[in-house]
Amino acid sequence: MTPSATPSHRVLPPLPPVLRELVARLPVHPPSHLLALALERVLRPRLPADAAARLAGHAVDIEVRDFGLRCRVTLRDGHFRSAPASGPATLRIAADAASYLRLLRGDDDADRLFFERALVMEGDTEYGLLLKNTLDAIGPLLHWPLRRA
Amino acid sequence: MTTRISLTVGPVLYYWPRRTLLDFYADVADSAADTVVLGEVVCARRHEMRHDDWLALARELAACGKEVVLASQVLLESDADLRGMRRLAQQDAFRVEAGDASALRALAGRPFVLGPHINIYSEPALREHARLGAVRWVAPVELGLDALAQINPPQAPVQGGPAADTPIATEVFAFGRLPLAFSARCFTARHLHLNKDECAFRCIEHPDGLQLNTGDGTPFLALNGIQTQSAAQHCLIGDAAALRRAGVSRARLSPGAHHFGTVIDLFERVYNGDADAHDAAATLAALSLPGGLVNGFAHRRAGLERPPA
Amino acid sequence: MTSSPAASHVASPRPPRLVCPAGSLRALTLAIDAGADAVYIGLKDATNARNFAGLNFDIAQAREGIAHAHALGREVLMALNTFADAHAPQRWWRAVDAAAGLGVDALICADTAVLAYARDHHPQLRLHLSVQASATTWEAIEFYRERYGIRRAVLPRVLTLAQVEQLCRHSSVEIEVFGFGSLCVMVEGRCALSSYVTGQSPNTAGVCSPPSAVRWTDGADGVDARLNGVLIDRYAPDEARGYPTLCKGRFDVEGTRDYALEEPTSLNTLSLLPRLTAMGVAAIKIEGRQRSPAYVEQVTRVWRAAIDACAAQPARFSVQPQWTTTLGRWSEGQQHTLGAYDRPWR
Repeated sequence: MTPSATPSHRVLPPLPPVLRELVARLPVHPPSHLLALALERVLRPRLPADAAARLAGHAVDIEVRDFGLRCRVTLRDGHFRSAPASGPATLRIAADAASYLRLLRGDDDADRLFFERALVMEGDTEYGLLLKNTLDAIGPLLHWPLRRA
Repeated sequence: MTTRISLTVGPVLYYWPRRTLLDFYADVADSAADTVVLGEVVCARRHEMRHDDWLALARELAACGKEVVLASQVLLESDADLRGMRRLAQQDAFRVEAGDASALRALAGRPFVLGPHINIYSEPALREHARLGAVRWVAPVELGLDALAQINPPQAPVQGGPAADTPIATEVFAFGRLPLAFSARCFTARHLHLNKDECAFRCIEHPDGLQLNTGDGTPFLALNGIQTQSAAQHCLIGDAAALRRAGVSRARLSPGAHHFGTVIDLFERVYNGDADAHDAAATLAALSLPGGLVNGFAHRRAGLERPPA
Repeated sequence: MTSSPAASHVASPRPPRLVCPAGSLRALTLAIDAGADAVYIGLKDATNARNFAGLNFDIAQAREGIAHAHALGREVLMALNTFADAHAPQRWWRAVDAAAGLGVDALICADTAVLAYARDHHPQLRLHLSVQASATTWEAIEFYRERYGIRRAVLPRVLTLAQVEQLCRHSSVEIEVFGFGSLCVMVEGRCALSSYVTGQSPNTAGVCSPPSAVRWTDGADGVDARLNGVLIDRYAPDEARGYPTLCKGRFDVEGTRDYALEEPTSLNTLSLLPRLTAMGVAAIKIEGRQRSPAYVEQVTRVWRAAIDACAAQPARFSVQPQWTTTLGRWSEGQQHTLGAYDRPWR
């Protein structure tokens, strides 16, 4: 499902190349696969080995509520992959696209969004906190819009 | 012949009318208890008994052959609180149980008792306090019996007292609602929508604390003014052998409003006689004391876990 | 060392130092760059009171963070504020050695055993008394100064402002107070509620209401938050949820269901800054090592601005609306309270 162009979307600057490339492939590839590709490119190179080892082997559902989008990914054999939709996930995260964007840019914190119910986390709370703390320690995954020098 | 596990009647943690309190201690005087700890340790506003009243009671109990210890308040906030603590520390007729670090400073150089709210979690920490002159250690309630044996080893107990020549005795909280936390806020007053300073001493209406249940109706905690307790009764009546193995020589029984004489009697007969622990536990359970029986802490588990049936 | 007896009548006492939390190297860097005078950090183990997965520093990260702070003339304090475990106290000694080796500016400790080890083996190391030591009176603080040479004490969040003032007047060491963050309603270092429910507490494991014990379950009436099976709260389907810290749950007392112990609120003492400064408080601590670098950066920025404004013109100090807005955004429960300093419930 693709988002409808609302006024707020129109005022946003152009997508960075990595996202544009992914969005371009949207109709062909299932969203989980695209998310895994994005994580593989953006997150995996920055993921410390000890965190990777502790996060591996669990399915995580990521839901973009306002897009009606649901993905399931896992970290296996050192790589992010899409995960089969059957069975329960270790963790389910649900939020609107804008909240994800703020998190990815390091503009917000998951606790705050959680208190306001803008972010829902269900399932294994310890795993969720490990993920949250790991991502916090890494810093913003996305710089968009790019800062002008 | 096994060594005696001495029984200590802990301080009454609730606010009882003076008459009730004096009747209670009259019964304790006739009981098998070896030691009685007196004093108001929870809330400085409670005033049914003043300093001199406690001392008079202490003398009476001592005359009945009980060892008496005076406990200092656990959470000191004001100058008046400090003065109360110093008044206890300055008398030398009775031993004092330290409730906080201010009391440790005031008692250093004399034999005294380390109360359960002094944070001692390792042998080196006990040694630090032994150097002050401590002769007895009431372990923090959340410690397992295995840890007690590490901290004050039965084969080589830490030496305390002013001359560092007295083996420190380990006392364990063996019965009663567990004192779990202290706050500046009075939860009893909060529940009644009263200001703490105008609380009308309503905690006197709850001689075993005010029970707090979880949303599904399970008894969970008990509110006792600024103190939060377990709703359940921590009960180590079935753990005498484990206590002895851990080097515990004293058991603290924390007063409740009902059947406390029976509690002392059962502990005496099981710990220091030949009564059956299972039967005694069944008798205790049948007394319908509020909250049921738990003993998880002693076994290094969550405190609310119950002994195996 | 701040000489507190004089502080109450000196016209312009030294502004309090801003001590900020860092759960990661990134948070440390942002805090320093946003104007923290000092950050406090912990190692990745049970030697500190925020022992959560993915949080805290390994030795290499600590070294890098300390280098960054020192290059800008700021300090790094290391929290070693749990109680050495009876079975393996050596782990705490090794952590003290590591901190000394790293060149931290002070250790924040609560355990007399850890304090004694540091005093005996690293006499040059500056020691701060952690809030977990529950020292609520000047005599208690004096006990730790006389025996362990502590140079600063962090006060539990239970005293009124008048009591803090009284304590500052008598104390011969620096006083640090909490300025902002989530509230502990219980006296720190004296709370076994978490171990009662889960077997792990701040004193024994450096955690409170540990996430491994949390379970969320969907039911007909909403979502249940349980801690090791104990129902801490039940949220209606569209109700905002909180982390099930057990003292912040809703319980039933005599038929009334309410936050019987504490509502999820945050402490914010911005408006007290002139008084805290005047009474000679040496440092103000921001809570939140478990929060994100974004929180650390923004909260630090506000407090830096406020302390600077207060130092420049204490008599004309007023809390700027944008400070309140920013801090409100990052508060748990979105509420501001002066906590025990004001004691609306006194």
